[in-house]
Amino acid sequence: MDIPTETPASSSSSSDGKEERYLVLIEFAYRHLDFQIAEIESVLDMHGIQLGSPDCRVYPLPGQDETGRTTPASSNPELRRPYLILSFPAKDASKLSDNSNSVDRWGLVTRATNENASIAEILSRCTLVKTIVELWGASTSSLDTCAKECGEWIKNTKVGQSIFANVAGEQESWKLTVHTLGTKYTREEQAEMRDKFSYLGFQGPVQMKEPNHEYVLIREVEMDGKGSPLHPRHGIDKNVIPEHDKLPPLGLYFGRLLGGKSKKGRGGLEQYNLKNRVYLGPTSMDAELSFVMTNYGQVQKGSVVFDPFVGTGSILLSCALRGAYCMGSDIDIRVLKGRNKEETIWKNFDQYHLRRPELLRTDNAIYHRHFRRHQPLYDAIVCDPPYGIRAGARKTGSRKDTPRPILEEHRHDHIAQTKPYPVSDVMSDLLDVAARTLVMSGRLVYVIPSFHEFDPHTDLPRHECLKLVHSCYQPLQAELGRRIVVMKKIKDYDFSKRDHYMSNIWVNGTESAEKCANLRDKILEAAKQKPDYERKAAVRRQKRKVLKEEKKAAKKKKKKRLGEDNDEVEETQS
Amino acid sequence: MRNNTKEADGKGFPLRITAVEVRVVDNPDATNVGQREIDFVKNMLPVLDWPALVQAASQLGIPTLPPQLTEQLAQDPAFLQALYHILMNVHLVKGMLTCPASGREFPVTDGIVNMMLEEEECERVRV
Repeated sequence: MDIPTETPASSSSSSDGKEERYLVLIEFAYRHLDFQIAEIESVLDMHGIQLGSPDCRVYPLPGQDETGRTTPASSNPELRRPYLILSFPAKDASKLSDNSNSVDRWGLVTRATNENASIAEILSRCTLVKTIVELWGASTSSLDTCAKECGEWIKNTKVGQSIFANVAGEQESWKLTVHTLGTKYTREEQAEMRDKFSYLGFQGPVQMKEPNHEYVLIREVEMDGKGSPLHPRHGIDKNVIPEHDKLPPLGLYFGRLLGGKSKKGRGGLEQYNLKNRVYLGPTSMDAELSFVMTNYGQVQKGSVVFDPFVGTGSILLSCALRGAYCMGSDIDIRVLKGRNKEETIWKNFDQYHLRRPELLRTDNAIYHRHFRRHQPLYDAIVCDPPYGIRAGARKTGSRKDTPRPILEEHRHDHIAQTKPYPVSDVMSDLLDVAARTLVMSGRLVYVIPSFHEFDPHTDLPRHECLKLVHSCYQPLQAELGRRIVVMKKIKDYDFSKRDHYMSNIWVNGTESAEKCANLRDKILEAAKQKPDYERKAAVRRQKRKVLKEEKKAAKKKKKKRLGEDNDEVEETQS
Repeated sequence: MRNNTKEADGKGFPLRITAVEVRVVDNPDATNVGQREIDFVKNMLPVLDWPALVQAASQLGIPTLPPQLTEQLAQDPAFLQALYHILMNVHLVKGMLTCPASGREFPVTDGIVNMMLEEEECERVRV
């Protein structure tokens, strides 16, 4: 998050000659906290909006100082809050707030060319965005201040005046919902909160089902990093904990709902859940994350996407759902062919009525030998390279130094040996292929595991033609996490400089690459360091043994029973 | 069948196609190919090696492509639609791709091209 935050111009409702801004509050799903800003930035960029430029700045949340730290209400200065306020020039307000177009709630297939896209349409693409709210007023202290701010915004700003005139008329039905982030308030308490805003004076009728406008009042509390409040209002015994109840909220927000995903089923993501796929492998990427990756890659209708480590095609599937033309290759023919006729990558695509991707078996290490030297073709390369944690990397080649020549008569059904493919080479080949084949500004998105000793500043591979755009960290265990890295092509590939490119990929030589290699062993090593490892391992071993014996016994029993059945049959026959 | 199958390694290009089974997808949207598809083909034109494509198409039993790609054709929507159909909806399901220079064969099974090389061939191309 190195996007400069806007200096708060006294408040959004300032009328002291300063430029008016239009504020939009974004509420994120409380997952993948590090991925949210990058996703928004990529999606805005697709629509030609630069986050951080005067056209769209980040506005500090209530209680945040210029550096983006939350003081002093929170005990944790590094606190990640699932909210973001974007500030736009007031002249764009009418365009951005237009929610008359029915927005595809999931925003799967959108094209960036729509110049008049509202902010709800733009952000509906973001997987991690939950709700989008036109912010009328915000406060840290009390509902009264928040309500007062809203009143001032409506009265004193031109934006507020014109919007309020449009939405609060007699014809406009409305409702007000209270969001309290996992904290329970009774009906009466909620009504009391609502009453504070009644003075704003909405003329239209209240309507619970499909009103013209929905207003939301959000009470933000500190979260524990896992999705529940850090200081829950109610104890396990369902009684209010007074000292927790007294804590001030982190922020209070009031505004008009512009768009967002329905609360249930993660906004329609459920239908793309891995569980519903016909064909799966151990390294299939989960649907939510692969959708985030498609946004990082700015995959849209008509994009051409390539995945050199296609596996079971889970990442390409998300790209295809966004309307891309997909191509995938893998060195392992088994995954490409699938388990049987019914369980293949193609069946996964058929399931969602998508165009089948082109699949071919190639070795990414010798991409330039498989493909003719062609003009840049791909808009994005999105992949999850093999790192040897779940699936090892291999390339063609003999394990011996001097390969045995293949006899002519064996040539046809000879299966080429593959040998382990060091992670450092996997990465440098990947970057090289990306630099060659991406169109200008095309994006390379890949996943890289990140052990505690991994330093993103020095250890990430780099290439002169590719610029690092994002590197987002997702913790998995105490010491292990993974990063999604996004790079953008900024320079034409010069074939004469290939050696120079290849030798400069790792800043610290292959030492960096080794940090993400052999992780399987390292994880095991780390586990061994933990106290009590021996005892726990023994327990696990014992369990496995018992399980194995049970299975054996069951098999024996079954065999025996079958044998008896046969005997019976014979008896009756005789 | 698409660009990739035509784009072959190094000296041996284009690959000769021996088709055993060709599947033509009767795309429901084949008749109403929209602007999007036309745009897509237009973007693809500079990437295509035209003579190679003509050869590949005729080997797949489609002899209708003109031998020369003219400026005029490149602007013709009807032509672009037809080209889109050939590029995207004709799939080689089973057959063989043969290198014209060395005679090396790459089998295609179930629509997947196997471009794997032998170990020793691999060592040669790497240097």
